[in-house]
Amino acid sequence: MLPDVSRLVDTRNGTLDPRIFVDEEIYKLELKNVFARSWLFLAHDSQLVKPGDYITTFMGEDPVIVARQKDGSVAAFMNQCRHRGMRLCRADLGKAKTFSCSYHGWTYDLGGRLVSIPSEDDAYRNGIDKSEWGAIQVTQLATYKGFIFGNWDPTAPPLTEYLGDFTWYFDAFADRCEGGLEVIGGTHKWVFPANWKFAAEQFCSDMYHAPISHASAALALAPDDMEADDEIFPMDGTRGRQFTSRWGHGTGFFTESGDVLGVIVGREPGDWFQGGNPEVVERLGHHRALNMRGMHATLFPTFSFLPGINTMRVWHPKGPNEMEVWAWTVVDKSAPPEVREQQRIGTLRTFSSAGMFEQDDGENWSEIQQVLRGHVAKQTPLNAQMGLGLDWEDDPDFPGRVNRVYCETAARGFYGRWAQMLSGLSWDELAVTPPLEAVAQR
Amino acid sequence: MTLAERETRPAAADSQLAEMLLQHEIEKLVNIEALLLDERRFEEWLDLFSDDVHYWMPTRTVRYERELHKEHSLPDEVAHFDETKRGLEERVTRIRSGMAWAEDPPSRTRHLFTNVMVSEGDQADEYEVRTNFLLYRGRLQRDVDIFVGVREDLFRRSPESEYGWLIARRKVTLDQTVLLAKNLSIFF
Repeated sequence: MLPDVSRLVDTRNGTLDPRIFVDEEIYKLELKNVFARSWLFLAHDSQLVKPGDYITTFMGEDPVIVARQKDGSVAAFMNQCRHRGMRLCRADLGKAKTFSCSYHGWTYDLGGRLVSIPSEDDAYRNGIDKSEWGAIQVTQLATYKGFIFGNWDPTAPPLTEYLGDFTWYFDAFADRCEGGLEVIGGTHKWVFPANWKFAAEQFCSDMYHAPISHASAALALAPDDMEADDEIFPMDGTRGRQFTSRWGHGTGFFTESGDVLGVIVGREPGDWFQGGNPEVVERLGHHRALNMRGMHATLFPTFSFLPGINTMRVWHPKGPNEMEVWAWTVVDKSAPPEVREQQRIGTLRTFSSAGMFEQDDGENWSEIQQVLRGHVAKQTPLNAQMGLGLDWEDDPDFPGRVNRVYCETAARGFYGRWAQMLSGLSWDELAVTPPLEAVAQR
Repeated sequence: MTLAERETRPAAADSQLAEMLLQHEIEKLVNIEALLLDERRFEEWLDLFSDDVHYWMPTRTVRYERELHKEHSLPDEVAHFDETKRGLEERVTRIRSGMAWAEDPPSRTRHLFTNVMVSEGDQADEYEVRTNFLLYRGRLQRDVDIFVGVREDLFRRSPESEYGWLIARRKVTLDQTVLLAKNLSIFF
């Protein structure tokens, strides 16, 4: 039986019903009302260089093929044959002219159009209109600064509107240099036996865990002449901001800190990212170029990234109790070779399957998931009250609704939007109903 | 066996014996490494590696046969591990910090090595050593991971080393594409 959806997330009091992480019925509704209606990251332009280049991925649990077309555009469609439902393409990526089903041989072109059926005239002498049996197209497809997103819902707002008040922060990652970002080859794929929201929320809203969860990595990685002290990871929350978007996105960062990137990914990429590159300052302005350090971010629901550390990832849901993370390393296209190489190494050593930071995240999430098997645990609300009622919207340097870096306003915004979508609010209603109450006047 | 046959044997036997001794020496080191890892004697384990070691585990993708040559990530692409000696030392420092929650409480590992094949390397006193492995990890109360794959190592004779050998290169290939574990907080 589905729990009362309207009571699962209480943004006014900052509490979460733990069943949102474990309940099968909620999960099914989430696939329908959240994943089949949200803009989901599919691929980056640099992963599909030439016509015929394709990758296979997922939108929620639905498999899709994303392919570069002959005219340079991108198509995305269900990775499923329309005849008997077989998975069309079973490789992770590659180059193709067509996708031919290995069951009966129905063949689709790069855009998902059904172009040939074996023995068509004989087997379908009753007639078949191939134009009606193309692969199911992803309803909306859009690219923002090289990032390709898809959405199954024809009523969803355009991607630029969905990015909304988060755009200014996203650009700190996506729009630093002429030419943008490129993905370094290869993908880390691994599983966490935990609900996807733990990961998405943490990247959205949680700087608070870093000094505790990642204490060992910061200690081990600090160069000999640096210490992972309070200067690097300030414990004073006034020295940073967290932002919550009315669309459920969120980010947080230090505004004043030592060389936090230098400790994590190494000096060259740290200096490249935060060393005052005039082009970056010109494009982003002083605060975004220099005073957003150690940034974490989630674009609702499942696309997360860490600017500077330069990992980005999707948390694919695999049932309520498991997620599969797909993580990429990115680098400014104009970065010199030594920066690129150090970024490659620095990122894989910190945020990946064997990453010294990321290992400890998985421990937390999977243990929570185990604890939530208990009956009493499922009835016990979780606390998301940090900084409740203390947001402001008139920050001189950072636009939108912000708070101190150690708070959970972005978590409340994330879960608030999630609950609104889960309850089935239409996009028209969502557009005029922010997930959080208005900011109290100071 | 005639007397003549008996007299021709020593040369062949010497080379066979030398090969067996080499195989034995190397297998001994392989077993010592397993012991050091499974007993979490990581500082002693680090001593098995040369200062110029490259310890590498590329990622792997699902590909069709015609593109199978692109299955593994390249040296300038991402990897699970891409470590220098110093990098390995940092990982050990982390594990010993008392705050490495993914390894505290520690993993219980058992490294099983088999199919040890030795061939001559490019340099004198260097040998390519190929070893299949099965690595069992138990963690906490019920966590279990099983990793299977192959290690392609370069073993270098080294009088300074306690065991007479140093490992100068390691490439680890896992037989999984999506890693079915929540992390790789252990060593291969």
